[in-house]
Amino acid sequence: MNTKAANSGSRKTQSGRPARLSLADWMPKIVMAPTVVVTLVCIYGYMIWTAVLSFTNSRMLPSYKFVGLDQYERLFNNDRWIVALTNLGIFGGLFILICLFLGVVLAIFLDQKIRAEGAIRTIYLYPMAISFIVTGTAWKWLLNPTNGFEKLMIDLGFENFKFDWLINPDMVVYCLVIAAVWQASGFVMALFLAGLRGVDGDLIKAAHLDGANTFTTYRRIILPSLKPVFFSAMVILSHIAIKSFDLVAALTNGGPGYSSDLPANFMYAHTFTRSQVGLGSASAMVMLGCVLAILIPYLYSELRGERHE
Amino acid sequence: MSKASIGRQTTWVEKALRVALYTVLIIMATVYLMPFLVMLLTSLKDVEEIRTGTLLSLPSTLDLSAWSKAWGEACTGNNCGGISPYFLNSFQIVIPAVLISTLLGAINGYVISLWKFRGSDLFFAALLVGCFIPFQVILLPMARTLGWLGIANTTTGLVFVHVVYGVAFTTLFFRNFYQAIPGELVKAARLDGAGFFTIFYRIILPLSTPIIVVTVIWQFTQIWNDFLFGVAFSGFDTQPVTVALNNLVNTSFGGKEYNVDMAAAIIAALPTLAVYVLAGKYFVRGLTAGAVKG
Amino acid sequence: MANLVIDNVKKRYGTTEVLKGINIAIEAGEFLILVGPSGCGKSTLMNSIAGLEDVSEGRILIADNDVTYTSPKDRDIAMVFQSYALYPNMTVAQNISFGLEMRKVPKEERDVEVQRVAELLQINHLLNRKPAQLSGGQRQRVAMGRALARRPQLYLFDEPLSNLDAKLRVEMRTEIKKLHQKLGTTIVYVTHDQIEAMTLADRIAVMKDGEVQQLGTPQEIYDNPANLFVAGFMGSPAMNFIPAKVVSQDGNPMLELATNSTVALPFPKPEALVNHIGQTVLLGLRPEMITEPQPHKVGQDFVTTTDIKVEVTEPMGADTMIITRVNDAEINCRSNPAYPAAPGSVIEMMFDTSKAVVFDQATGHRLDK
Repeated sequence: MNTKAANSGSRKTQSGRPARLSLADWMPKIVMAPTVVVTLVCIYGYMIWTAVLSFTNSRMLPSYKFVGLDQYERLFNNDRWIVALTNLGIFGGLFILICLFLGVVLAIFLDQKIRAEGAIRTIYLYPMAISFIVTGTAWKWLLNPTNGFEKLMIDLGFENFKFDWLINPDMVVYCLVIAAVWQASGFVMALFLAGLRGVDGDLIKAAHLDGANTFTTYRRIILPSLKPVFFSAMVILSHIAIKSFDLVAALTNGGPGYSSDLPANFMYAHTFTRSQVGLGSASAMVMLGCVLAILIPYLYSELRGERHE
Repeated sequence: MSKASIGRQTTWVEKALRVALYTVLIIMATVYLMPFLVMLLTSLKDVEEIRTGTLLSLPSTLDLSAWSKAWGEACTGNNCGGISPYFLNSFQIVIPAVLISTLLGAINGYVISLWKFRGSDLFFAALLVGCFIPFQVILLPMARTLGWLGIANTTTGLVFVHVVYGVAFTTLFFRNFYQAIPGELVKAARLDGAGFFTIFYRIILPLSTPIIVVTVIWQFTQIWNDFLFGVAFSGFDTQPVTVALNNLVNTSFGGKEYNVDMAAAIIAALPTLAVYVLAGKYFVRGLTAGAVKG
Repeated sequence: MANLVIDNVKKRYGTTEVLKGINIAIEAGEFLILVGPSGCGKSTLMNSIAGLEDVSEGRILIADNDVTYTSPKDRDIAMVFQSYALYPNMTVAQNISFGLEMRKVPKEERDVEVQRVAELLQINHLLNRKPAQLSGGQRQRVAMGRALARRPQLYLFDEPLSNLDAKLRVEMRTEIKKLHQKLGTTIVYVTHDQIEAMTLADRIAVMKDGEVQQLGTPQEIYDNPANLFVAGFMGSPAMNFIPAKVVSQDGNPMLELATNSTVALPFPKPEALVNHIGQTVLLGLRPEMITEPQPHKVGQDFVTTTDIKVEVTEPMGADTMIITRVNDAEINCRSNPAYPAAPGSVIEMMFDTSKAVVFDQATGHRLDK
């Protein structure tokens, strides 16, 4: 690789002649500069700024009166936040598990020389092209107890059928799971299908020659070799779960009450509509903490893997 | 990876399994299609039919009035001009944001892959983190910055925000693509007398068509579907269509017109769905590339 | 054509020194080969000559001009890469003329030059194809064509043949040699293939660990290696190294060998061994110096016949390699295929030590210089 520009500044010569410092040598750095500045300011700078705000008593406007960990204490004494975190646990856990399960199963099924595979794949994946707002709007209508799914089942003859999860504070979080799974499971399927197609064909031939049947081949040979795909899918899905904001906004708007809030909605509400900037910042920092807890091991293994290539 | 047993009679067990397999796949396809089908059916009914019928009952007449209302008359918040102005807002935001972020990503990827300098790899790692941070941590500082820059509540402001937070992804895409280009190509061109931009323009860019398509589609979908930045940084008349749709659906005065909601939702989804149908291959490639490596 | 002087060039990455003061001067029209194992610094040196990497210390002169800090495009150098590095989006003709275009040569002149080069390399029929449509050998020719088109002062070849299959490699090797003889160009050529080095070079620089171990003509390096590394690196099959005790016979130092029986071999420079009597040294003997007894040589000075026990034979067509053990070291002997040598049998072989060399066992230094 070209290391020229890097050395331009520190070049020493025996004869003490000035090193060549032409514009061309600096060009790569010059064109990268805007991105570097923007990244440092708008990602890392802002992160620090939010961190600072989370230690202040900022309400409607940022103030810089430091109150230590007060906001975090308030946060974890706040029932709404606890509900949001609990919801995240339920929503995230179920969303990830169901998506992984459906994704793997559908990918394996589609991998059996299926006729019209392309068309079926297209159908499974199209929700991923749609905004969560549209998804939320659609499922809000589908799941509404008066005219939606419940009425459909009753009209089909199941007279006592009841499906009121959308307005039931205990069940509403599962509506989020349903809509999110509908949207993202096809994506997991696509990831696994790509993974399956990348498995070395000789490996499968060898397994068959060793007498393994199809089921055993998948369980013992193919799926274990897709461990990296599982890993990536988990990271992406947990990332989607932690950031989920629009789905809640469109499907339940946090309701009934705040029973279907997720941390992202809590943060938005407190920062922008309830004039609790300090508290909102603290909640944002907790979200960041969650993401980093998942991300750092992942990036570490990714980057290390790359170095071994 | 065919498990088909060549040269052997397929037994009835295998046949039954095949039938079961297709049944499951078709049922799942129906499940995935159902919500969109219901949206479409609902948008074609009138309010009365919606109240009396079920989700799957067919409309008695082909009634497009909900569509025209959603487009031109429906009320979003206090504004009753339909979602068409917001639909156009979205294009006003998406097009420049996609172009700028793609161009920046291409240049950055070119430098990071083929003109490494001390710290460029470290910077790339730092940028990768930018792909993942929950945007809640930058929301408030960015709102204040947009205010200082005088572009708060404008489409320009939204373009800026989408470029800033999109460039991490576009850089990642181009960097991974250019990583496969041998460094000797650049060395050869330098000895031939070509400079930084000539090499980019004459040699690297002509090779980049596939990744440009992937990036443009990815960015288009991401930015069009964005809600968080739209709701946080737009003004009343600069909202993108996702925000307007959410307002329309949640506008509570008057009777609930589900047919109009559904028509508006489909309109809001149409551009990205069209891209998906027309260029699905690239869309999937972007998803998996963004996912597996990012 | 120009001469090239590499004057005490050093290159450091952080604290690791990959070039430890390289001094090489080559004449205009000379063909120099840099050879050595991977990681020896030969590619770094190549990149430094091209200006693709900066040197930490020292000077590089082309045609007596100091170009140490000149940018690559102003050094008037062309390079042929291992991967060929053809521009994938351009046709063969565009690839060849790109360098001229960058130097603002008018279109008509470029076309003339492309024609000249294409004829020289017999690639006329390929001019409108893209690199992806070419075979490996054709790409190699185009890569050379691109270098030739600019008529630079100096050509650099970075392992240009290592991506070709064995047969094509031999063909292109001859081709390159012919071109060099015809055009009289100055060439620096990196390879790790010692046969390429032997056949092509006017002079060879054998490198290891960022240092030039020996710089000389192929024959000098083959017959008179500076140290154990060079001796082992050049030649295929490699030189045999036999640990042998120096004994004194009638006042003459001899090298004692235990084959099937024990013999003492004479050494052409006994004075080098006088101080080592009683010690064990490494005797270096090329395989072709251990053969079946040849009547015209038997009885000459430094020729000794003795019995060996055959372990394995490897027929190679023209010769048969016989592998045996001497002083517990496995050695290769080159014999006539007609000479009977069944594995396990004991046969008579002839050791010719007239070109033998000896090394210090511990340091690898030549003892007989």
